[in-house]
Amino acid sequence: MKNLIRLGTATLLMGSWLWAASIDESRGSLVRVRASIQPYDQFRPWQKKAPFGLNGTGVVLPGGKVLATAALVENRTEVGLERPGSAEKCAAEVEAIDYEANLALLRPTDTKFLLGFAGVKMGPALRAGDTAQVWQLDKNGEMLRNQAEVLSAGVGRYPADEAGFLLYGVRVSLPKRDDSYTLPMMRDGMLVGMMMGYDRDSQEGTVIPVPMIEHFLKDALNGKYEGFPTLGVSWTSLRDPNLREEFRAPKSGGILLTRVNARGTAGRAGLKEGDVLLSVDGFVLDEDGNYQDSLYGPTSVGNLIRTRPIVGSPAKFHFSRDGKEMDLTGTYDRRARDEIAIPTLQFDVAPRYVVIGGLVFQELTGAYLQEWGDKWSERAPQRLVQLFSFQQEMNLDPTKKIVFLSQVLPSSITMGYLQLSGLVLSKFNGQEIDGLKSLALLADGAKEGNLVFEFTDNPGRIVLDAAEVKAMGDKIGKDYGLPALRRL
Amino acid sequence: MITSSGIPRFGRVSSGKEDWQKIGLVWVLFMVKDDWMTFWIKLFTLAMMGLGLAGCGRDEQLREARRNVVMVEVTSQTWDYRLPWNPGTVSSARGAGFVIEGKRILTNAHVISGARNITVQREADPRKYPGKVLYVAHDCDLALLEVEDPEFFKGTTVLPIGDIPELESVVSVYGFPIGGDRLSVTRGVVSRIDYNSYTHSGRESHLAIQIDAAINPGNSGGPVMQDDKVVGVAFQGFRGDVAQNVGYMIPTPVIRRFLKDVEDGHYDHYVDIAIRWMTLENHAMRKYLKRPDDGLGVVVTDIFSEGSSDGVLKNGDVLLSIDGHPIESDGSVRLEGQPVQMEEIVERKFAGDTVSLEVWRQEKLEKLSLTLRPAEMFSMYESLYEEAPRYVLYGGLVFQPLTANLMAVLMGSADLRLRQTYSMFGQDQLYRETPEPVVLTSILPDPLNVYLRGIAGQVVREINGRKIRTLADVLPALEAGKERTVILFQGDQRPAVLKNREVDKATPRLMAQYGIAEASRTDLGNRRLAKGSFQKADSK
Repeated sequence: MKNLIRLGTATLLMGSWLWAASIDESRGSLVRVRASIQPYDQFRPWQKKAPFGLNGTGVVLPGGKVLATAALVENRTEVGLERPGSAEKCAAEVEAIDYEANLALLRPTDTKFLLGFAGVKMGPALRAGDTAQVWQLDKNGEMLRNQAEVLSAGVGRYPADEAGFLLYGVRVSLPKRDDSYTLPMMRDGMLVGMMMGYDRDSQEGTVIPVPMIEHFLKDALNGKYEGFPTLGVSWTSLRDPNLREEFRAPKSGGILLTRVNARGTAGRAGLKEGDVLLSVDGFVLDEDGNYQDSLYGPTSVGNLIRTRPIVGSPAKFHFSRDGKEMDLTGTYDRRARDEIAIPTLQFDVAPRYVVIGGLVFQELTGAYLQEWGDKWSERAPQRLVQLFSFQQEMNLDPTKKIVFLSQVLPSSITMGYLQLSGLVLSKFNGQEIDGLKSLALLADGAKEGNLVFEFTDNPGRIVLDAAEVKAMGDKIGKDYGLPALRRL
Repeated sequence: MITSSGIPRFGRVSSGKEDWQKIGLVWVLFMVKDDWMTFWIKLFTLAMMGLGLAGCGRDEQLREARRNVVMVEVTSQTWDYRLPWNPGTVSSARGAGFVIEGKRILTNAHVISGARNITVQREADPRKYPGKVLYVAHDCDLALLEVEDPEFFKGTTVLPIGDIPELESVVSVYGFPIGGDRLSVTRGVVSRIDYNSYTHSGRESHLAIQIDAAINPGNSGGPVMQDDKVVGVAFQGFRGDVAQNVGYMIPTPVIRRFLKDVEDGHYDHYVDIAIRWMTLENHAMRKYLKRPDDGLGVVVTDIFSEGSSDGVLKNGDVLLSIDGHPIESDGSVRLEGQPVQMEEIVERKFAGDTVSLEVWRQEKLEKLSLTLRPAEMFSMYESLYEEAPRYVLYGGLVFQPLTANLMAVLMGSADLRLRQTYSMFGQDQLYRETPEPVVLTSILPDPLNVYLRGIAGQVVREINGRKIRTLADVLPALEAGKERTVILFQGDQRPAVLKNREVDKATPRLMAQYGIAEASRTDLGNRRLAKGSFQKADSK
């Protein structure tokens, strides 16, 4: 151990000594990324919100592509690259983006734009106590190198992810240069992480480490981007001897699975609620769900199952059920995350809606709920919050989308309904509704008679007249300036 | 006392339930606490009092008020739902009351709630007499006191109860607000007559009258008079930083109902029709229900099981009239020429009374009759005052039934599942399955439960294989455990497993350590819960 530390210090010294000589090299490795952002307005799904710009720093990779954070380019209308120190600009396309891992790969539309850039190679994974530099571009293209120290390396929360990935916590003093803290963390001229968050008061930041970046690039460069796998389980620590006894766990080690998504990696392999998971792919889990990582020491199982394997690679589980130890195999995938009725977070996806005679129907998404602000779980309609938050245990059918009445535009035919909102639609004219498309189709087909909307909550049902809705036609859209009465 | 924001905080801010329901207004109940006097407030109120008295030319009214308005001083105890075994904190407060017929004193329920000692005092007599609560109605914030010593009533007459005053007519408010110890009079006009929430119970809404006379802490329970009659009892208002010149009084229909209710020797709760309905203003909806466009009727959209309408009304029924009063399509009826919500008809009735309804059902007109009863299944939303908090302690785990009081103390720390269990309990009729959800509220640290810390705040689903539907299920279910007790919670929270032998050993230690005299308190007293509509067998 001591040897390793000494070695680290030696490398660092060498690194510092090297800077002066390698300025040109570093200049040939970074570009400024300018993104124009315009998110959709979830409360007015037919329009977008006011646009704004974000600037950050991208890392040029060997091969002429640029690495940035997803947060820098999500909900973009346009992305451009700029050479440091000159006003030379080029439009870029997002080739791959992973919102959970907060990484994006950009490709300049002009293949010659990055000629002369050597590109940055991936450096080593770091540990707590290691030092590195966070690089920033000055206005005139000068490079600022800010000394950073890695305070922690372990599984932590990413902004658009619910389970956790490997993450560095770093201390660094950064002058304000850009609108975002998408900045590369370098060591010896190599990339060791992408900074994604920074708190000016505590001078602490969060950094996406190289193992995450390598996983992302490996996936992105082979054509179809698949993303990070997930097990699809909830688990709890098995430190409590009484709990161990109750679930007949072996003498030591293992975690208790409290919920297993039948569609997920673990569920399809055959694991069940109440199983005690003892090891994954040969890595033994302790009572708190940590495995012994060769670099980081005890590390949460989250890193083991999300960062290390890729989608499609085989999974091996050793576990105990009712006191008997067994083995099962499966295949890592993302189905537990992707095949759900109510998507958790969505970016760059236009919200769907249908307006029928002034009744506005939308499909429930995490993005809609988040529009209610930080206290969305208190402020948003409680039925919608419940369906979203407890969709796993309520076993919502992932093929069926939740359609709800989000608001009522006042018109001659919606009188008496104006107060209604946040109501989940269960049936339309007696037919089950499993998405906006089926609602739109059925509504189009109903030329006369009643349009009966049935909701799961009070007031239960409301009625419009089909002929009146037809007669109103586009008028409701014109009155309220809607560009279209639906987006499906 | 001036608070740090520089705004005097008047009276007792009620339980905090309003924040929970996001009403966004800060109510105060107008009781004055002894220690809240300040020189500045005194000066200010004296000035106001001077103005009020100067403007009052009604000698007769003033003379009657001086005879019959009494100061009510109360020492009360408030339970601590965080530590349900403790007797709670003691505090003193002052309110007003007045003598009505039958040598009784009418005041607010919130003036005397949790009272351990009550004294009453008249202006003409410096002596303080011990008072006793005769009846209390927390749902409409009224109470009747009696004084055993006949000396007290020497020289009193009776303040007669009048009617609803006209809008903009002048009224005078009598009481003992902060600013001095003698009787105070303020004057104002009737600003609004409408339904409003009665914050003392936290759950109820009744008719209330808004007046612009200065009402301040200590006015609570005092009469609001017009000519020689009482037209209301001053009871609540907004904190000074929220709204000014907005005070509320309990109008005489509510007072009369209370006095009539107690004639049989006990107070029953308000009754409730226990339905939800929707206005019938949409003409496509009217056509669908085969109703002409005559502007009449509302449609029933929800019927609460165990309520008055359960088994009588059906979803989709159109209510056309109530006790002969035609129901407008916005749900209002005309009562004494005034438009009021149709519930007002029910409001004035008592448990066991009937109400007749004309109903349009499946294109036929039907006449139905409902027997009214209180909506006991919603009693969870009612703030509790007299009852001691109930709980069961087991191995340091504290189990408590979900109540408005508990929710008020958990507020910030309650997780989404618990919050939704509370907020959707009524609308989703969760009471049918679980008349009284039981929460593991806290874990008193002990070597026994060292691995259980951090799991508190969850709703208990099962103990030793038995469904937990009310607190009464907890002890028998715990006793059913043989070696181990297994407690399951709602959602995917891990179970809690305890060894019964260890728990038995730890219990005396825990009780001594935490100063707990009783390991459980489960008696429901007079309260009634929903019966529920589950199979009785599966709770065994």
